Amino acid sequence: MSDHHLLVTKDRIGIHAKLYITVLVIVIITELIGIHKFPVGPGTVVLLPMLYAVIIGILITPQVLGKVIKVLQKAISKDEVELAGALVMISLLPLGVKYGTLVGPAVEKIVKAGPAFLLQELGNLGTILIAFPVAILLGLKREAVGAAVSICREPTLGVIGERYGITSAEGTGVLGTYLVGTVFGTIFFGLLGGFAVITGLHPYALAMACGIGSASMMTAGSASLATVVPAMKDTILAYAATSNLLTGVTGMYSVIFLALPFTNWLYKKFQPIIERKKEAA
Amino acid sequence: MEAMGKTIVNQFKVMLLVCIITLIGQRIGYGIGIGQAIPGMIIIIFLGMVALIIKDFTPNLKFPAFAWASMIALILTMPFMPTSKLMLEYTNEVSFLGTTTPILAFAGISVGMKIARLKQLSWKLIVVAIFVFLGTFFGSAVVAQIVLKIQGLI
Repeated sequence: MSDHHLLVTKDRIGIHAKLYITVLVIVIITELIGIHKFPVGPGTVVLLPMLYAVIIGILITPQVLGKVIKVLQKAISKDEVELAGALVMISLLPLGVKYGTLVGPAVEKIVKAGPAFLLQELGNLGTILIAFPVAILLGLKREAVGAAVSICREPTLGVIGERYGITSAEGTGVLGTYLVGTVFGTIFFGLLGGFAVITGLHPYALAMACGIGSASMMTAGSASLATVVPAMKDTILAYAATSNLLTGVTGMYSVIFLALPFTNWLYKKFQPIIERKKEAA
Repeated sequence: MEAMGKTIVNQFKVMLLVCIITLIGQRIGYGIGIGQAIPGMIIIIFLGMVALIIKDFTPNLKFPAFAWASMIALILTMPFMPTSKLMLEYTNEVSFLGTTTPILAFAGISVGMKIARLKQLSWKLIVVAIFVFLGTFFGSAVVAQIVLKIQGLI
């Protein structure tokens, strides 16, 4: 069913009601728990309500706790899960507006930092330098190209799917990174955003790095970074949002024209090593 | 056209409910009174709907509604815009963090059916994904750090 059909309320009122009530309950619980931050080693771990919300959300679904606690399936079954997927896009809009109101007043500051914004987009290629060798060392072959080419959000999924087919080895790789990101991305970046301050990199640079092309991952990362450095909160959020917007515009082209050719070139360079490994095995 | 009208009405219902949940959440979490936040929320619902309508009318652009919403709000709150002062005054009563909680609740529930597929995934791909996250994050951070430093902005 398309998103538009899922939104229809006729004959589906029960599904809608169950989902909204569940989300309301999750929001009440997580906001009651509130923000917690505590030092771990040299850094700070920030726990935000959104982090508990995504974890509770995952836990109550039919394939997780629903499998054990059957009554949960009465509230959240496959239908509600499907509807939730369609609602994420709409529920993001208030946050989108909020981000706009953070960027607008800072527009002069952002234009000034324009060169940094543009060049750090190329930094996304850093994933290839780090993740691709790891993939090869682990013995992956063409899967490595799909998995390590970028953070693999929807645009990359589209590019790789179109070029190699989603059932190809490259497709398996891209789906792997996509899936891990979808399920654990917000949790990962929510923890990393606050903790990354210990690297000594400036919070503004880290804020730009949060814009990786996924609104929820960017939000988790930048919100927890802003909680650790509250004095820079507004600029951090504005920088992260701008960088994310930019990644949204440039991301797909960067995969087509830079990341994919570069990964394929690296694959050729690594091929003798890959072949040798095969012989040894 | 009629189908589109129906879609817009359905999207509006969703926006309304999401915003009510947000109002309750931010009352609990950040102590912002519901009445005090309503004008800002009305602006947010209006701009959100504009973003959805633009997106539905430009299917070939592949620009997400989220980005449209940000762009419109960005333009309206630039310092020299006449709309800036009022817009900021009202939307400041809507907490940034408050808007994130319902999203992530929906997002968490929505990935529920993907857990089984995740379990079938080779552990190697999971390890690679973690390095992808680290690589993209620190790759950007290092480049940004260098350029901001050269520009004298940090």
